[in-house]
Amino acid sequence: AILQFNRMRTSEVEPNHITFITLLSGCAHHPSQGSSLGPSIHGYARKIRLDVANVKVGTALIDMYSKIGEIGSARLIFDHMGARNKVSWNTMINGYMRNGRFGDAVKLFDKMPERDAVSWTVLIDGFVKKGKFEEALGWFQEMQLAGADPDFVTIVSVLSAVANIGTLGLGLWLHRFVSKREFRDNIRVHNSLIDMYCRCGCVEFARQVFDTMPEQSLVSWNSIIVGLACNAYAEEALRYFHLMQKSGFDLDGVSFTGALTACSHTGLVEEGLKLFAAMTRVHKIKPRIEHYGCIVDLYSRAGRLRDAMRVVEGMPMKPNEVVFGSLLAACRASGDVDLAETVMDYIRETDPDGHFNYVLLSNIYAATGSWGGAGKVRRKMKDHGLQKQPGVSLIEINCAIHEFVAGDRSHFDSENIHKMLQLLSHEIRYEPELLEDFH
Amino acid sequence: DQAASTVGTPVVDLFGLCSEGKVKEAIEQMDQGVLADAECFSLLFQACGNSKKCEEAKKVHDYFLRSVHRGDLELTNKVLDMYSKCGSMTDARRVFDHMVDRNMDSWHLMINGYAVNGLGDDGLALFEQMKTTGLTPNGETFLTVLEACANADAIEEGFVYFDSMKTNYGISPGIEHYVGLLGVLGKSGHLAEAQGYIESLPFEPTAVFWEALMNYARIHGDIELEDHAEELLVSLDPSKAVKNKIPTPPPKKHSRLNMLVGRNRILEFRNPTFYKDEEKIMAANKPQAYVPDTRYVLHDIDQEAKEQALLYHSERLAIAYGLISTPARQTLRIIKNLRVCGDCHNAIKIMSRVVGRELIVRDNKRFHHFKDGKCSCNDYW
Amino acid sequence: SFATPEEAAAERRKRKRRLRIEPPLSALRHQQQHQQPRPAPAPQNPTAPKLPESASALSGTRLNLHNNILKLIRENDLEEAALFTRHSVYSNCRPTIHTCNAVMSAQLRQGKFAELLTLHRFITQAGIAANVVTYNILLTLYVDCRKLDLALEQYRQLVNDAPFNPSPTTYRILIKGLVDNQQVEKAIEIKNEMETKGFKPDPTIYSYLMVGQVKNSNADSVFELYEELKQKLGADEILDGVIYGNLMKGYFLKGMEAEAMEVYSKVLGEDSTMKMNAVSYNYVLEALSKNGKFDEALKLFERMKNEHDHPRKLCVNLGSYIVIADGYCAEKRFDEAVEVFNSMGEKRCNPDTLSYNVLIDHLCSNNKLAEAEELYNGMADKNVNPDEYTFVTLMDTCLKENRLDAAAHYFGTMVQLKRRPNLAVYNRLVEALVKAGEVDEAKSFFDLMVPKLRMNEDAYKFIMNALSGIGKHDEVVKIVDGILREDPGDFTEELEEFVRELLRKEGMEDEVTNLKLQLEKEKADAAAKAAEEAEEAKASTSIAMADLLSSKSFGKKPDVEELSAEGKEEDSVSTASEVENVMSKDAAEK
Repeated sequence: AILQFNRMRTSEVEPNHITFITLLSGCAHHPSQGSSLGPSIHGYARKIRLDVANVKVGTALIDMYSKIGEIGSARLIFDHMGARNKVSWNTMINGYMRNGRFGDAVKLFDKMPERDAVSWTVLIDGFVKKGKFEEALGWFQEMQLAGADPDFVTIVSVLSAVANIGTLGLGLWLHRFVSKREFRDNIRVHNSLIDMYCRCGCVEFARQVFDTMPEQSLVSWNSIIVGLACNAYAEEALRYFHLMQKSGFDLDGVSFTGALTACSHTGLVEEGLKLFAAMTRVHKIKPRIEHYGCIVDLYSRAGRLRDAMRVVEGMPMKPNEVVFGSLLAACRASGDVDLAETVMDYIRETDPDGHFNYVLLSNIYAATGSWGGAGKVRRKMKDHGLQKQPGVSLIEINCAIHEFVAGDRSHFDSENIHKMLQLLSHEIRYEPELLEDFH
Repeated sequence: DQAASTVGTPVVDLFGLCSEGKVKEAIEQMDQGVLADAECFSLLFQACGNSKKCEEAKKVHDYFLRSVHRGDLELTNKVLDMYSKCGSMTDARRVFDHMVDRNMDSWHLMINGYAVNGLGDDGLALFEQMKTTGLTPNGETFLTVLEACANADAIEEGFVYFDSMKTNYGISPGIEHYVGLLGVLGKSGHLAEAQGYIESLPFEPTAVFWEALMNYARIHGDIELEDHAEELLVSLDPSKAVKNKIPTPPPKKHSRLNMLVGRNRILEFRNPTFYKDEEKIMAANKPQAYVPDTRYVLHDIDQEAKEQALLYHSERLAIAYGLISTPARQTLRIIKNLRVCGDCHNAIKIMSRVVGRELIVRDNKRFHHFKDGKCSCNDYW
Repeated sequence: SFATPEEAAAERRKRKRRLRIEPPLSALRHQQQHQQPRPAPAPQNPTAPKLPESASALSGTRLNLHNNILKLIRENDLEEAALFTRHSVYSNCRPTIHTCNAVMSAQLRQGKFAELLTLHRFITQAGIAANVVTYNILLTLYVDCRKLDLALEQYRQLVNDAPFNPSPTTYRILIKGLVDNQQVEKAIEIKNEMETKGFKPDPTIYSYLMVGQVKNSNADSVFELYEELKQKLGADEILDGVIYGNLMKGYFLKGMEAEAMEVYSKVLGEDSTMKMNAVSYNYVLEALSKNGKFDEALKLFERMKNEHDHPRKLCVNLGSYIVIADGYCAEKRFDEAVEVFNSMGEKRCNPDTLSYNVLIDHLCSNNKLAEAEELYNGMADKNVNPDEYTFVTLMDTCLKENRLDAAAHYFGTMVQLKRRPNLAVYNRLVEALVKAGEVDEAKSFFDLMVPKLRMNEDAYKFIMNALSGIGKHDEVVKIVDGILREDPGDFTEELEEFVRELLRKEGMEDEVTNLKLQLEKEKADAAAKAAEEAEEAKASTSIAMADLLSSKSFGKKPDVEELSAEGKEEDSVSTASEVENVMSKDAAEK
């Protein structure tokens, strides 16, 4: 496209706005090259004053700059635009969201003369993408209050937020909401519902959604397989995996991730290895790190640590935290400190910042009663300035999320919570005595 | 008319809201400066009492205190009633203590309020105070006093007060007082005594007595007495018969009769009997108990402190909160940002059996569905 | 009892004050700022007494829960009732003590004692404070299980620690339990204690004590109790009829028949104002029937039946029928005994296992096996389950009459119905069978019982001896094999010596050694096989993996994120493009 453009310039054909839009969107999609090329195109557009005069070109420029991370320039264009339409506003907001400048985005959003579903969606989706799920849900609520009608893209974003914090109550509400809309048969909404239900641990509903869908896509199949596998419904996951093949879908890497996860959940070592072989040989799918992760996990669970280690050593890519995590967890389970240390040496070479693994290693030492070792690791963590990430647990009650950290006493109902915990901890330790005399 | 002239909003609106029991909307109107008249307040007090919403009750009371009606004895009595229905006797008492004059109703409402809120002792104390003010208790007073006795397990006092009615105040007890005294026995679980009391009444007991006894038997779970009282009730008042009543299961043993010999010999045939299969079944069914695995606590602290540390892990706090906030047997879903530690995994497994719920924990790696003391991950995680 | 309300209140408040609950009267002294009494913070010790919730706590969802549990109780699903009660503790709707009491009282009624104690322990731990009903249920249980020490301990705890007083019922339960277990002295002590606590003297309790003294043939004490009660009630005559049957028994004991009958005519004469119920009548009925006045008893029984007007006036109950059936038996009028027993349905009385057992026992010990069996056959119709006592009585009588098949049949049915005969009962049957030469039959009962009943050495020796007596030495070896496999601890040195001796005569003494060796070999084989299988599985997959990994058929490092995030990742990528599509579509439209 660039070449073509250069030819156009040399042949002195006046490029029109369509040309620029096409070019700029090309730059935006390839930020690495776009960052050098984009501004020069801008310069050219500037010369013929298309950037101010033509809304679409201006908008495309904003999009381009925000995608290559030059949000300041994007704003400059926005401010100098002769005329702005809703799309320009939305694109600008999107730019802020994409670059994590939530405050600016919201400010701009508030200034917008007229907001449509897309404006709201841009904001909500931006929060979801940056992991600010609660904010996203908050804005969804604002949207409802403002009386704006969400479209299916909004719903997909919101469902993703729901899935992440696991607020099943809200998820169920959304499902009911969707069923009354014209996009109720939208395949992507259904896929999101499946994902949401699975990630709320509510497999039965996920399956219902899947089974009643008018038509399934590859993503639907993958979602249900991975969802079942993660929820330890291994047999079901494998059943859907086979069903998917029968239905004429081509398996992809994700399908295999699901199937392999299912195998590792139930300890089906043989089955898992066969699947792995079939994936590379028959389906010619390049195994990715998560597939290796599954294999390592499989071996680790079967207690075959040496085999697992061999896989790690033979992997064509750098092993990640998940892979080492499985391996170290297995070491802890079998109390194999020697192997754990070998693994740690290996990790230090490849990934010196993985604090997660330090915690595991110190756990291993502690499990085998080696306090000295555990202390050493802890000190090392301190030296590296690493802190154990605090554990946080969430629970949803009546569509409200409650958050707890260990030893938490800040909750308003703390006293009753602790009373309940004390009763529970007594009851779970209680061994029923035999009351034979009273039979 | 006064309200209408000052604010320019017709009073009818507020009155309409009050008579429909729309307390929240009525308060909003008053926030806007609309003034309520006596009838509105009366309706609002009643509505707040019925809905048991203490916060709204307080707001309405605030407006009442700022109104010209604040000195109205009848309305103030309604405030007492409202607070006692809302379960806040502290507020009722505050109002009562600040009353310039009180009539019999005020005292009755207070004593009865204490009684129905399970604070019978305070009710009785108030009655003693009432006597010192020179007021002479009447028949209704004694009904509230008996109600207070019933809610304070004050059985002896109940009988003493009942006797004093006639001897000290010359009030001859009516049926309702006898029923009240039956309540003193019945509510505090003295069922056999209550039955004996009915049988010793100086007149033939009416259906009311048997119905009351039936209800007390139901409260305390005495199925046989309940049935007996019900039979007597129905024999006196056939309209009380319940259709499709589940028949009472026959008892395994008749503990009320043992004018029998031979009873002791039964044991001889059973003991000593050692049954291997039952031993085995019992051993197999013996539920697992949880033993804290303090290896998961990394701080170098003493054993007890470690067990305490485990006890307050975030997932356990979340579960405990989930339990006290939801109905029995409802599934709980917890989401954790890290992996569940081995000790919690073990504990939650057993918790799921003890609390009779499915507990679903999503950690950063996968899901754990805990049910009946087992986890879907089969302890691999 | 107390003279003034103040006095009564003082005693009650003294109990509550132990829990540091501010007594309201003292609060009144500083009237300006009245504070509602707050329960003290939960005591650390879960068994420390707490104030139980009053009946007014039973409202809203907690009342719904109560009613649901009552429904389960009526459906006799006690397991679910108890479980649901427990599970409700772990919920936003905590059961009240009343609901717990309802479940426990149903468990008591159905003889589920262990379950009751388990639930009680649980609610104590959960801090659901017991009320007087709870204590009474527990006392009844201990008394029924003959755990008088525990009952007394529980009573002491109630008196010393509970924030409320025991009820008259508490004393009735305890005193009756003590009397039934021949502890009359202790019972009288408790009765005296009761009266010092301000309780009115209770005729029912005196009647229990008199029953105890009659049983001890201590007529003077019966009279003493009667006089004491009369004096304490301050009346010329005790109007509660429950006393008089036992007073009559006292006179009969002394041989003072005329005085006894004088009491009888006074209590049940034309113009008597005595309050009589089924229990009072039964005492009198028994006094007559057991003291040579059976005809008079029959007359009274007729009168009772005539006066009986269910549900308003209850004059007969199961006990009345048993007294009369017993009386007929004593007169050897067995047909009439059975007849009257079978007629109790007329008055809506239902027999229980115990009453059947008594009559069956009578019949059996009077050579009326056929009648006893007929009675036994009728139990199913009346929905009464025979117990060990029923079966063993019938079995023993059959053995006595040499009806071996029938005896074996009763034993078999008993085991089939999951009743638990003990070793002695089993021994009696097997010995009789062997004696009659039915060794195979005996062996079949051995086979039936050996997986269940813990046998002793003699039982093993007996059956082995019998088998070798009919030349079935291989069966003996099989038994040894069974013991070694299932209960190796039972195979003592002495038993081994006995078996070797038994087999030696046949030249089979090596069999035992062989068996032992073979068992060890089997164990070793099984272990080896398991190890081998594991090794095989490992090897096969190792090869497959090594193969895969060495082929290096994979490309370079793909940069993909974590496993679980992946599905979502693809989704959100497409979501992003979706947003843009919509936007550009939007743009195109403009």
